[in-house]
Amino acid sequence: MIMLPWEKGNGRFTLRKPDSRKGGKPMGKEARDCREKLKSFLQRPWPYWLGGVLLAILNIILLAFAGTSWRITSGFLYWGAFFLEKLGLHPQEWYYFSAYNHGLNPGETLLNNDVSVITLGIIIGALISILLSGQFKLKPLKSKKQALVGLLGGIAMGYSSRISFGCNIGAFFSAIPSFSLHGWVFFFFLFVGAWIGSRLLIKYML
Amino acid sequence: MAEYYLDCMHEACPIPLLKALKQLSKMEIGDVLIMGTDHNCSIINVVEWVKKQGHAYDYVALGEGEWEIYIEKTR
Amino acid sequence: MSSAKIEAIKKQRQVSHTKGRNQVPYGLGVVLGAVIMLWAFHSQEGRSLQWILGILMGITLQRSRLCFTAGFRDPILVGSTKVLKAVLIGLILSTLGFYFLHLQSAAQGIADPLQLPGQIYPVGIHTALGAVVFGAAMVLAGGCASGTLVRVGEGYAMQLIVLIGFIIGTLLGARHYEFWDLMLISKAPTIYLPSLLGYRSTLVLQLLVLSLFYYLAHQYDRAHSMIQ
Repeated sequence: MIMLPWEKGNGRFTLRKPDSRKGGKPMGKEARDCREKLKSFLQRPWPYWLGGVLLAILNIILLAFAGTSWRITSGFLYWGAFFLEKLGLHPQEWYYFSAYNHGLNPGETLLNNDVSVITLGIIIGALISILLSGQFKLKPLKSKKQALVGLLGGIAMGYSSRISFGCNIGAFFSAIPSFSLHGWVFFFFLFVGAWIGSRLLIKYML
Repeated sequence: MAEYYLDCMHEACPIPLLKALKQLSKMEIGDVLIMGTDHNCSIINVVEWVKKQGHAYDYVALGEGEWEIYIEKTR
Repeated sequence: MSSAKIEAIKKQRQVSHTKGRNQVPYGLGVVLGAVIMLWAFHSQEGRSLQWILGILMGITLQRSRLCFTAGFRDPILVGSTKVLKAVLIGLILSTLGFYFLHLQSAAQGIADPLQLPGQIYPVGIHTALGAVVFGAAMVLAGGCASGTLVRVGEGYAMQLIVLIGFIIGTLLGARHYEFWDLMLISKAPTIYLPSLLGYRSTLVLQLLVLSLFYYLAHQYDRAHSMIQ
């Protein structure tokens, strides 16, 4: 039961200053319980289904009000193209950027566009979330093998995402709700790939 | 009753889970496995699997992204 | 579900919440940085909302530990479909939301599916090929696109390497795109389901199929559980 400032035991209505912790009384039990609840809410993970529901809602809001659907890997491509341009190359003249609306929209730059901003936001959001729950830790590489597999895996994922018009988000999580058949095909074959990957994982990485 | 310690620090998903499965399959009933991990997926997927198999388990958060998981093989 | 032995070991190891450097101030610092970025975007329509949504997505992904890779990998490795079920719930909800948005666009007279809001693209062998490679690679690399972003934010050096790989891979894929387009993609049809079945039927069919998958996933998970 939280005592409102004007509640005193004798029933008279008087405004009372809330207890100040500086040199005042030690925190009462209610306050401690409240703090524990807040702490555990900040630290405990949310259930998976809640994550699914929230992502769906955010996906819908994004499409409805922010003028773009959710995709990620194209953001990596734009960042890469940004670096190449800094090196003096002209990636935006490649065939890719003139096909299937792949190019930037008018007014966009390689760093400031629909995809790159959201993609960076996800990284920052994850950072905020883990810092607020006190679980951030720098985790260095364990072995050269791990690093090599990671690098090759990333290259493979990036390359394949261009061919299939997206990654697990662009070609799956946003494609199926868009009623495009390619999302379903991607869904099925992603399982096939995961099966192959699992076999390889157990054989070579354990 | 034997105690085994598995160091899964800095391992990528899902290696901690797979290592735990492998170790548990080699253990006798009554043995305890202690896992040190810094992967926040592990406390969920390892604990989930252990729960489904009916073993006893608990874990302690050490703070700053590290956990210790305790599993007693009960069946 | 602890046991006496475990409690004894815990006491013996005397392991406790020893490392307690408070990270909340750093978290609030990053929030402040994000707010400053938000202010920098205020003149661009839509960009500020995208920034906020991106951050919320990052928080949701990190906090719920939702990893799409786990959704596809865990059923195979350990018979667990908890993540997959959550993804299916997300798909069901998104389907409903996108349905209304598509109805709205159709009413505005947009005829070409490629112009409709969302991800609608040609389907063919290239889709299957890309998905198989992506699926295998995501399991080996320990994360998909969203998973990699979250883990970079969580401090994993390995995922930073995966991210660099992603950048290299997308650049290579884009560089070679003409080949793939000529070989496979340009010959492939774009199949927008409502064009074939109508909006209402597509919605019902899609929701039914997703719900069926949810039911199957649930049964699969139960079948792999020792406790009933």
